[in-house]
Amino acid sequence: MRSARISRRRFLGVAKEAAIGGVVAAGLAGAVAGYLGGASSVAPETKTVTETVTRKAEAKPLKVGYVYVGPVGDYGWSYGHDRGRKWADERFGLPIESFYLEKVPEAEVGGAIETLIGKGADLIITTSFGYMDQTAEYAEKYPDKYFVHISGYRSGAAGNAPQNMSAAFAEFYQLYYLNGLAAGAVTESGVVGYVAAFPIPEVVRHINAFVLGANYAYKKRTGKNIKAHVEWIFNWVAPDKARSAAIALIEEKNCDVLAFTEDTPSVLQVAEEYQKKEKKVWSFSHYSDMREYGPKAHLTGQIANWGPIYLDFYRMVSTKSWISVDIWGRIGDYIPYRWRKPVEESTAGQPEGVVYLAPLNQAIPEEWRAEIKRRYEEMKELLFEPFSVEGNLGEPIRDQSGEVRISGSERADHQMLWSMDWLVEYVEEPLPKVKEPLRQAFPLPFLYFPRLGRCSGLGATR
Amino acid sequence: MIEWLESALHLTVQMGTVYLLASLGEIYAERSGILNLGLEGMMIMGAALSFIFTLAYGHLAAIIASIAAGVLMSLILAVMAIRMRLNQVVTGLALTMLGLGLSGFLASPEIRRGILLTLNPNIPEKLLGIQQAPTLPEYPIPILSEIPLVGEAFFHHNPLVYASYAAAPLMWYILFKTRLGLSLRSVGEDPAAADSLGVNVFLVRYLATMISGGFAGLAGAYLFLGFQPFWNEGMTAGKGFIALSLVILSTWNPLRAILGAYLFGGIETLQFRLQLMGWKAQSPYFLAMLPYLVAIITLTLISLENVRKRIGVPASLGVPYSREE
Repeated sequence: MRSARISRRRFLGVAKEAAIGGVVAAGLAGAVAGYLGGASSVAPETKTVTETVTRKAEAKPLKVGYVYVGPVGDYGWSYGHDRGRKWADERFGLPIESFYLEKVPEAEVGGAIETLIGKGADLIITTSFGYMDQTAEYAEKYPDKYFVHISGYRSGAAGNAPQNMSAAFAEFYQLYYLNGLAAGAVTESGVVGYVAAFPIPEVVRHINAFVLGANYAYKKRTGKNIKAHVEWIFNWVAPDKARSAAIALIEEKNCDVLAFTEDTPSVLQVAEEYQKKEKKVWSFSHYSDMREYGPKAHLTGQIANWGPIYLDFYRMVSTKSWISVDIWGRIGDYIPYRWRKPVEESTAGQPEGVVYLAPLNQAIPEEWRAEIKRRYEEMKELLFEPFSVEGNLGEPIRDQSGEVRISGSERADHQMLWSMDWLVEYVEEPLPKVKEPLRQAFPLPFLYFPRLGRCSGLGATR
Repeated sequence: MIEWLESALHLTVQMGTVYLLASLGEIYAERSGILNLGLEGMMIMGAALSFIFTLAYGHLAAIIASIAAGVLMSLILAVMAIRMRLNQVVTGLALTMLGLGLSGFLASPEIRRGILLTLNPNIPEKLLGIQQAPTLPEYPIPILSEIPLVGEAFFHHNPLVYASYAAAPLMWYILFKTRLGLSLRSVGEDPAAADSLGVNVFLVRYLATMISGGFAGLAGAYLFLGFQPFWNEGMTAGKGFIALSLVILSTWNPLRAILGAYLFGGIETLQFRLQLMGWKAQSPYFLAMLPYLVAIITLTLISLENVRKRIGVPASLGVPYSREE
């Protein structure tokens, strides 16, 4: 993360220099032309040169090709990337042409990349974990094109891919911790639920962050530990399953706050239905602002804007100042003013940067809204880390078997977050230890039909 | 315990109604000899249109539009299978793909926006981008819904669920106790004999196929408006095929279809209840597989000649009829 930040800054410096250099060069060229031409006035000649440059730029806009794994209308993952694409296109000051291929199966990403390059794309952005290896292959095949892969770990910066490939991600665990604070602040039953997609590290760390936050607030309020229940639906997009799972959590375990990792607002809709029946059940936004799907039940939530990341890469490519990076966009990244502000001036709940908090519901008690804002501001400067003893009321963080995972002055590092395979002690259900058992038992069909993993919901990656 | 059962049963009925509505129509089609494998496609078209029409005009229009869409799609099947005597399996599967693709296209954000503005130019801006629609209101039946256990589970639902309660026995009665039902069954058993007795084989088959399309559209509308009011592409997620296996499981009997529908609905409900009761989380795979397992077993069984005779598969199911004059 640290190195990524530095290289980004270094890049911005380079970009600026390149821009200044360009202007100086244009001026010089104009001056030289004027001198050679021996004209009476230099100025009109300079203008001519500038015009030529502009026309050249117009003739060849920056072309960016995106590969999405889902339909852009899925309201979750691919929809989020498409919003990011539009955001970046709008703000990029030079001529830009961006296009996308949607619903591309992971095995077919190679063909998709070829298609996009055939359309003249200079920059290819692939947005599913399963696209990673092929993206690296094509980066090698087309060294004069630039590649960005989302949610993976291969990049030139990390040393396991060519230098024309970067990796990026919008990471939510800090926001899930803040959601947890809100949950612990409003829960009456002291039981919170989580509808989870797949037992992979990304989802596991989000569950842990949420439960740690909920425990922090609830224990501070009542002195008792929070109880948390997790339902696995083994799907990224399955509104019907998410709905049944949410209802089971409410009816069976009396959960009154539900967080989720599923790409539709189904869980929030269920919470809203209970609110209408005078039972207080709360939920959150996920990836997009989902308030309209549960105006009463919406507490806060995690929202991603991929735009700033994409815009950054547009700039790198168009100014020919590419540097391979591995970025995790967290709270504070890509915001203009990265200093913590006093609670009264906090920007928590407003759109900014790559990941930010959805508006805070007034149902969260005043003091806890202040606490959430305080932590949000602290995390802008990474002064607070949810996976630390401080995030657990001074107690070491233990897993379900009672083993201490984080103690003393430790904070979770990239390696721990990236490979988290344990649940915190407050979660009641064990973590399913299935690492694609079918694929292991019968590897052949998966080898020949890589799509099988996606269809059957066994391939646990985005 | 009572509360647990009440809420579990309530959800079971809610889910089961999707299967019940879809399989009731399919039973008529198959009894007349037409295998409608386009069920899934007709359901999702119903769901997509109920989404769009609810936003534009409200629930009633949405339900009518969904039924109409199902009937129209089944007419394509009818023309191909009855008039042109094409292979019903291939035609049906093609219609499923058509439905899945077309519904995703019609309901995709920009196309939907255009359709909504055409249907209702005065539509509030807020509704143009939203991917949900208001659900059908629930009307608890006065006295019946007070009964413990049963009341909450069966009599606290939206009108389409009550309609399915009425439709199943009515369709059983028509099929087995009326002249019309007799003609329909005879067409599915031996169309040549029925024809020689003056039954209009083609008309009966057309009607039965259209009924199955209408019910499939209605099932899709119910899925969206009564169960899961959020649109996403392919939201039927194989429910049409589960309904198809249910038809076989019920041995083409509308009354038995009720039991089968609630059995499958119950399996889906239990998946997530059992996970919280300490079943290992992998087990959803097992439970989620059950309806398909039942389908495979039943399909295997009916391919055996003497089993076919015993459970009464319509003898001419899937066989095109031509007069050969």
